[in-house]
Amino acid sequence: MPPLISFDKVSKYYGRGEATIRALDQVDFAISAGEFVAIMGPSGSGKSTAMNIIGGLDVPSSGDYLFQGVPTSGFNRAQLTLLRRHMLGFVFQGFNLLARTSAVENVELPLVYRGMDPRERRRRALAALEQVGLGGRADHTTQELSGGQQQRVAIARAIVTDPAVLLADEPTGNLDTKTSNEIMDLITRLNRDNGITVIMVTHEEDIAAYGRRLLRFVDGHLVSDEHRAREMDHAV
Amino acid sequence: MLYEGTKLAWRAISRNMLRSFLTVLGVVIGVAAVIAMVTIGNGTTAQVKSELSRLGTNTLFVRPGQWGPGRASTEAKRFTDKDVLAMQDQVSGLRAVAPINRGTATVIAGGANHSTSVIGTNNDYLIAQDWDLSIGRQFLPNEDRGSQAACIIGQTVRKELFGSADPVGQNIRVSNVACPVVGVLAAKGQSGMGDDQDDTVIMPLKLHQRRIGGTTTISSIILSAQDGVSTAKVQSDVEGLLRERRKIALGREDDFSVNDMSQIAAAMTGTTMLLTGLLGAVAAVSLLVGGIGIMNIMLVSVTERTREIGIRLAIGALENQVLTQFLVEAVMLSIFGGVTGILAGLALAYGVVTLLGVPFAASPTIILVAFAFSAAIGMVFGYFPARRAAQLNPIEALRHE
Repeated sequence: MPPLISFDKVSKYYGRGEATIRALDQVDFAISAGEFVAIMGPSGSGKSTAMNIIGGLDVPSSGDYLFQGVPTSGFNRAQLTLLRRHMLGFVFQGFNLLARTSAVENVELPLVYRGMDPRERRRRALAALEQVGLGGRADHTTQELSGGQQQRVAIARAIVTDPAVLLADEPTGNLDTKTSNEIMDLITRLNRDNGITVIMVTHEEDIAAYGRRLLRFVDGHLVSDEHRAREMDHAV
Repeated sequence: MLYEGTKLAWRAISRNMLRSFLTVLGVVIGVAAVIAMVTIGNGTTAQVKSELSRLGTNTLFVRPGQWGPGRASTEAKRFTDKDVLAMQDQVSGLRAVAPINRGTATVIAGGANHSTSVIGTNNDYLIAQDWDLSIGRQFLPNEDRGSQAACIIGQTVRKELFGSADPVGQNIRVSNVACPVVGVLAAKGQSGMGDDQDDTVIMPLKLHQRRIGGTTTISSIILSAQDGVSTAKVQSDVEGLLRERRKIALGREDDFSVNDMSQIAAAMTGTTMLLTGLLGAVAAVSLLVGGIGIMNIMLVSVTERTREIGIRLAIGALENQVLTQFLVEAVMLSIFGGVTGILAGLALAYGVVTLLGVPFAASPTIILVAFAFSAAIGMVFGYFPARRAAQLNPIEALRHE
């Protein structure tokens, strides 16, 4: 069985000639189903570029990104969209919920694009909100929710499609420490109990410590790849 | 997906109700103009048609010069008493031959005065026009010959000069001609052109020629064919007679015209259609401007909602789905404008036809066409902004503040 996600000498260049920036330079790694991977690195290290490529939002300049062993280099824009729609869930630093829209409608959004029946959609969205501990706030609009609650809605939106991978880009970047820990506990639980593969970009060591594997990027190179026991298991 | 798109579009539009309304104002005005114009035109046409059918199809109008669609009346010899006599004697199947001279004059009775149209004719005029007297009598032979003055007045003139008093036997002065009122016409109301037919005074042709027109000629003749007689036959007989009397050489065009009502109606419709075309062009420009307004506001909307579009694309919306969303929004906006315009146009038309006293004749066809056209405008002018939204780069869109 091929790994869920693998990078085969993936490079990404921006610009051309003298001004070329190598955001990623011949990067190789593989992530198996069920892993919880944290990606760290200073800004400009290429970690966000790697994340965008995994998320199908960007494509490598050379090398190949394989999803479940399938090379994506030949994918067009629509195929990448379908990869996102059916396999990936996104959680962003800035939450990225639709404004003036209720929590449950935000969560329903990915199902809308799948063309799911409205009643079934509503049922699944409410279940996902229940799962992230916001069962009672389904009808609150984005503005009526705190930052932590908004991120929970975003997580519910990411998992409502039962994705293979949850991609979290600085999920706690806009939150205080206490709320950050609550969000990380939630993500850890989804990984451990629901078997969702989690790939998370962060620049905070203690947030990265929730992961069981840590990839470090510097100047477009993958410089370390550590597997470790989950330190915070007892807290969950 | 279309249902979802409609819901989303409605939300986006209603969030900015004032802006949405101002955006579609161009479409509203364009559609309202078309609807009002066509509805008023239909009403007028219906009015004219009903009047024509009341007059009957057996009436012919004889005028000097050519008259008809695309022709101005040219200088041509007017008719004479002898022409009228010849028609009466030589054309068979005629029920009425009424010479007509028109003029305007101030009519005075007691202390009241009123400016009105004065027609010089004979008793046949009442037959040809199918017009009864409400009181009094027609002209007597000696009055017809001009040896005795006499006037028949319309209801409006009666009201203006005599109020509720009986005018028969009273004297009026028509342009300084003393003239006893011998009869009063039955009320007829407005004509298809919107003028008051009851605002008139009728006097014998001779009196009119001498005292009002200062002429010995006749400007037009109305003929009425007997029931069961072909108007086409009468028309050609009259044409033949007049060609002979006016000595028109073979192959030369007539310097007069004989038309029946349907030919006159066709001329009127021609004028209406020209006007409709002109106003239609104005409306088309207005709709074009309206469409550009919609395109402009949709481009603004796409920029404002870049982040939202980024979110949608990231979580699995296909280009087509985003395109549909914005296209539906544009179409909805323009349909909103179209429906508002249809309602405004109908309201405007209703006001105008009520004022004109013309029937209100809304055309379902033109309403449907206006509706479809406004939807098409949204489709055409919404496509470019919608495509721009659909082709955004999700990474950059998500970064957009």
